[in-house]
Amino acid sequence: MSAQKAMNPLESVAEARDSGVGGPARVVPIAAGAERRQSIRDFRTPPVPQPPARLDDYQNIIGQASLDALRFLARDLKGKTIKMVNSTAVGGGVAEMLNRLVPMLSELEVTTHWDVITGGNDFFEVTKAFHNALQGNDYQLAKHVEEIFLMYNEQNMRRMQFSEDLVVIHDPQPAALVCGRKDSTSHWVWRCHIDLSHPNTQVWGFLRPYIERYDAAIFSSQSFARQLPIPQYLFYPCIDPLSEKNKEIDDSIVQAVCDEFRVDRSRPIVLQVSRFDRAKDPVGVIQAFKLAKKYVDCQLVMAGGGASDDPEGAAVLQEVKAAAGEDPDIIILDLPPWCALEINALQRASTLIVQKSIKEGFGLTVTEALWKGKPTIASAVGGIPNQIIHKLTGVLVHSVEGCAYQIRYLLTHPDFAKRLGENGREHVKENFLMTTNAKRWLLLFRILNGTQTAPLP
Amino acid sequence: MSEVETQVRKSKKPFYFNTSEHLLRIGREKAANLSELLEGLRRCPANSVFQHTFRTLQEHHFIRRGFSNDFAHWTLSACNEPALAERLASVDVREFTSLEDLRQSLVSVLEEYVRDNPDAAARRAEESFYFCAADIVVLPTSFVPETLPGFADGLRRVSVHSIHHHFIEARLRLKLMSNDFSQWLLEEMSLPDEARAINRIDIYTATMEHVRKQIIGIVEHAV
Repeated sequence: MSAQKAMNPLESVAEARDSGVGGPARVVPIAAGAERRQSIRDFRTPPVPQPPARLDDYQNIIGQASLDALRFLARDLKGKTIKMVNSTAVGGGVAEMLNRLVPMLSELEVTTHWDVITGGNDFFEVTKAFHNALQGNDYQLAKHVEEIFLMYNEQNMRRMQFSEDLVVIHDPQPAALVCGRKDSTSHWVWRCHIDLSHPNTQVWGFLRPYIERYDAAIFSSQSFARQLPIPQYLFYPCIDPLSEKNKEIDDSIVQAVCDEFRVDRSRPIVLQVSRFDRAKDPVGVIQAFKLAKKYVDCQLVMAGGGASDDPEGAAVLQEVKAAAGEDPDIIILDLPPWCALEINALQRASTLIVQKSIKEGFGLTVTEALWKGKPTIASAVGGIPNQIIHKLTGVLVHSVEGCAYQIRYLLTHPDFAKRLGENGREHVKENFLMTTNAKRWLLLFRILNGTQTAPLP
Repeated sequence: MSEVETQVRKSKKPFYFNTSEHLLRIGREKAANLSELLEGLRRCPANSVFQHTFRTLQEHHFIRRGFSNDFAHWTLSACNEPALAERLASVDVREFTSLEDLRQSLVSVLEEYVRDNPDAAARRAEESFYFCAADIVVLPTSFVPETLPGFADGLRRVSVHSIHHHFIEARLRLKLMSNDFSQWLLEEMSLPDEARAINRIDIYTATMEHVRKQIIGIVEHAV
């Protein structure tokens, strides 16, 4: 069988019928797979959303003492209120995080409201351009663009009430809402989820006066921050250990997913999970895999998405297929965005996980890999060095050759690889779980309120 | 004191198990080479020194070896200066009851290395060092034992953050080369040998969970 056949489950039933098994292209027999997986679910349609987990559900994961600390932290804030404002209710990491954080804080009796700004296409075109410019893209800021940005911020400001004790504005889109700040007893915080280390100077120069009106700013990595006259805090992004993507699953599900995608669990599996995006260097991963495979037996699974609804993604997918050539050990999966359970299963089935990005935000796929106790090889970009302490919680690489060497090394040194995986999981448990995120918000709220902030011990 | 007396004896003052939680504040100083690290270390606030030494041990409590403080880690991983990293790693936070003394000790190591290795001092690191600081909130726990068995039970059930708070951070508060556990055993339970044994536990060769087990072992032996 050949490989590098991108398997889009939405199309592959017909493909499987057309191609059969054993032909020149590697094709997954989805119909048979779907039958096998009926006990799990049919992943061709989005799953029904699960009700949010309760705090007590986390006890087995973080322990009673950590849960108690959360409750003690919240006790003095009982009755206080928080408002979170962002630009989208669905899709994207911020909405995903707020979907879980808001009920968690409310369960701790710190009532938290979530409001989403509205705007026309012209507004979101501007904010998308701002987003890219703030992450370093070239951009010429025009006066009418500033006006569009401010007009929609003002419209939203008039529509919203800001009576909460803590108002948190997420990302640049609603940043000018701070102009609606009236009550001097409330605290306003700007939570920046993007990398501001090398912003376009015009866009940053325009936004900066608004940011300086907040009481504090929060960044996802030290290296993403700017010099500002307000305090800046470090909040790592987080994963929910009880979500479809990260919860513990039965091995029968892992096996069924591997059967579905023809992944052979009796041989070492190297996995990269990422959109088909050049910033994730999927071709570099294939090159590294091919170098490593000269010395060690292994398969490569490239599980991602974005090729069906993004022309650039489709082009990258073609490049990936071309790079894979006829190698039967490379399995390329173009999955729909709701395939969290399948990603979870593939991560758990893997021997090693790779994230060979050229540019990265925080890199939550690395967090997911570490949480599953997997030895992880990743590039030292964006927020990844916060997660991977070289040779302690994973290994950092800087080149295709380095990545290939580490694949070989970790596959042939399983004890060392196991130790990395164990440390990585503990690192996530300590720093990158949703419960830790909730704790940081409570700590910040107390600190801004001046509630029992201790001097140095 | 008989075994039964030790078990049932109530202390005049109970042991209040507390825990400390920390929020990371991003500082103004950053370093792109060793000279800048030295300059930043001289200028940064004391709670930055705390964050990158005491706190980093807590953040990485699950690692048994290879991680002592952020300065040592950065000089090895980003500057590739193993000799300097070894010297910085050997600065034991438990030998200090003042952050200024700890800062001075780290500064002395760096000053000497920078003076003897001017090329290395100016060489650009692979990634910058960002000085951070810790804002601390101390919280109570529900464990307030008055007896030795209750103390052992508390040790088993509190978080590792609480163990770190009482066992490692405490010396900055006590201004003593000791810790809260040893002080309570000595002053309230008249157990000087156990107090001394606990104070000798090596935090750099064991995870915090292993440190906890060793403390519990000593206390249970007394029980």
